[in-house]
Amino acid sequence: MDDKYEILKPYILLLPALIVLIVLFLGGLVSAIAQSLGYFPLIGLEEFTLNYFVEVLTDAQFLAALRFSIYISLLSSLLSVILGVFLAYQLLKLADDNSFISAIYKLPIIVPYLAATLMVFLIFSQSGILSRILYNLNIIDNMNLFPKMVFDNNGIGIILTYFWKQLPFVTLVVLTVLKNINTSWEEVASNLGANGWQIFWNIYFPISLPSISSAFVIIFAFSFGAYEVPYLLGPTFPRALPVLAFQRYNSLDLSQRPYAMVIAVTLAAISFVLMLIYKKLIKISKL
Amino acid sequence: MNKKKMLILLFVLIISTFILSACGGDSAQEEINLLDSDWESIEELAQGQELNFYMWGGDERINQWVDNYAAQRLKELYDIELNRVPMGPNDYLNQLLAEKQADRDPGSIDLLWINGENFITAMNNDLLFGPFVDQIPNYHKYMDTDSYEITRDFGYPTDGYEIPWGKAQFTFIYDKARTENPPYTFAEFENWIKDNPGQFTYPAPPNFTGSVFLRHIIYEVTGGHEQYQNIESESELREKIRPAMEYLRDLKPYLWREGETYPATTAQLNNMFVDGELMATMAYSTVLASGEIESGNFPATVRTFVLENGTIANTHFLAIPFNAPNKAAAMVGANFLTSFEAQLEKFDPQKWGDLPVFSYEKLSEEEQQQVDNIDLGVATLEQEVLDSHSLPEMPAEFIPIIEEEWEKIIGQ
Repeated sequence: MDDKYEILKPYILLLPALIVLIVLFLGGLVSAIAQSLGYFPLIGLEEFTLNYFVEVLTDAQFLAALRFSIYISLLSSLLSVILGVFLAYQLLKLADDNSFISAIYKLPIIVPYLAATLMVFLIFSQSGILSRILYNLNIIDNMNLFPKMVFDNNGIGIILTYFWKQLPFVTLVVLTVLKNINTSWEEVASNLGANGWQIFWNIYFPISLPSISSAFVIIFAFSFGAYEVPYLLGPTFPRALPVLAFQRYNSLDLSQRPYAMVIAVTLAAISFVLMLIYKKLIKISKL
Repeated sequence: MNKKKMLILLFVLIISTFILSACGGDSAQEEINLLDSDWESIEELAQGQELNFYMWGGDERINQWVDNYAAQRLKELYDIELNRVPMGPNDYLNQLLAEKQADRDPGSIDLLWINGENFITAMNNDLLFGPFVDQIPNYHKYMDTDSYEITRDFGYPTDGYEIPWGKAQFTFIYDKARTENPPYTFAEFENWIKDNPGQFTYPAPPNFTGSVFLRHIIYEVTGGHEQYQNIESESELREKIRPAMEYLRDLKPYLWREGETYPATTAQLNNMFVDGELMATMAYSTVLASGEIESGNFPATVRTFVLENGTIANTHFLAIPFNAPNKAAAMVGANFLTSFEAQLEKFDPQKWGDLPVFSYEKLSEEEQQQVDNIDLGVATLEQEVLDSHSLPEMPAEFIPIIEEEWEKIIGQ
């Protein structure tokens, strides 16, 4: 009796969380996949078909959005990771814990994305604060000469927002790992004549690489699937993938729904692949 | 120790059952036939009920009006607890569709602020309760029940499933400190844009305001609104609006950012207008500019204008979902919101500035006096000017098609 109970216990304790997960998440995923395959009985679509996938995946607007989303997430994540690792390494070298600096660099983490978006809009738009300062200093003659950084086709505003938000996250993750690396290796290396760059490149970097990569995967997946920043700061053409998906989903023409779901399922599939990569990296870091 | 374990287990099981049963829902509820009852018994039934009012929440002044004025008065008059839930039509329709799929009755929404394409979607999917409008006393008392703007919503018959509660008309907004004489004819409008390159734009459809701007261009470029009431097929519509889309495409070099990109929201458009980046903005409202001047967001020199051929006006409505938990409260709420008192309060630009739905002729002399005394604000055009420049909306099912064409032709 007691044995049986011991076996069942963890499952029973997991039950409340599992119910929520299964009903909300799995239920949503299954109905999204069903609708992307053309099963949407509410408006009389009852046959499974791959046509929607074929149509969407060959649609120029979709491909442009996919390219744009990958470009934004890749560039912003790379920037955040490179500078984040650099910053973490510099912070590591600070003699003792400087609570002021460590509070400052973590600040963006608690600021909501929406607030960060607004901040970028107010500072970097052509009629924004930066443009006004330059105008008042007579560096530019009118605000149209200020570079287009918001609603622009290069997604600079979006990338800036993600970079500002994600840099401290990478720093935090990497710094934690760097702190736990045995300092005697560094001492040995410098004893043998290695310079600072060689110490970083041959000791710290390889050891922290798995956590650097997993930080990269996390922020890439986030910026790839996030909606509000590209909606508010992005160009009209091309729209980012999540913006396009939401626009189709929100269309009052319900026959658009399967198309929206194809985009959503594609997004989910890409995120799933990223999750697998992430798991692999975690495994490596545990070796 | 085993006892403690059993207690935890029991606790977890109780929570699980609770979650499960909450998902199931329970539809057994005593309900009188509200469509046949007399008004007194409906009012009695509504006493003390909750009223979940789902409405677009993007305008702080409107929210304030609902939260402070309407909620308070309903509490005083009927002990009804009004909860404003800020949710746009696209989202609440999706929620209702999901509730319908899951057979959830009673649902969560009592009253909706709705019109146009959203109403048609709701009707086509049987999402509404009714026809209840005949039951509402103020409908008969104050409204001209035969007028086109009350019996039709974007060309679609309302059939008693939604009750009018406000009207809006599109206006352009400019700053007279920058533009001395605003354009009046469409040719002047075009020259105004071309003479000031980079200083005009519109929100990207499917933004609501951007979308109605497109419809103005369609009316202007393709020869008026009448033809759009009898379009036979989708391809005919696409063919017909093509010149307007090409017109907008050719206008791109003169627009903000050479028309490569468009602001996503009216908030951004207004922001750029105030910052001087743009020379004009626009609103599906006649008093928004006056209200914004009053609250200090727009400079005092801001004014509005309409074009010679008119600007589009529409009526907005209230409807009750098929699975509203408190339909009686919803009906009493709708009756209150269409009362003279609420309509007058709503008309005041200081508070909201929404055009009333009552017919002026049906008001008593004293009531007419009260309406005449309202100060509509410096930037608001005379009601006469607005009325003589008012155009009907297009049938709502055209709107997604127009937006698609815009995307195709402008997005190239």
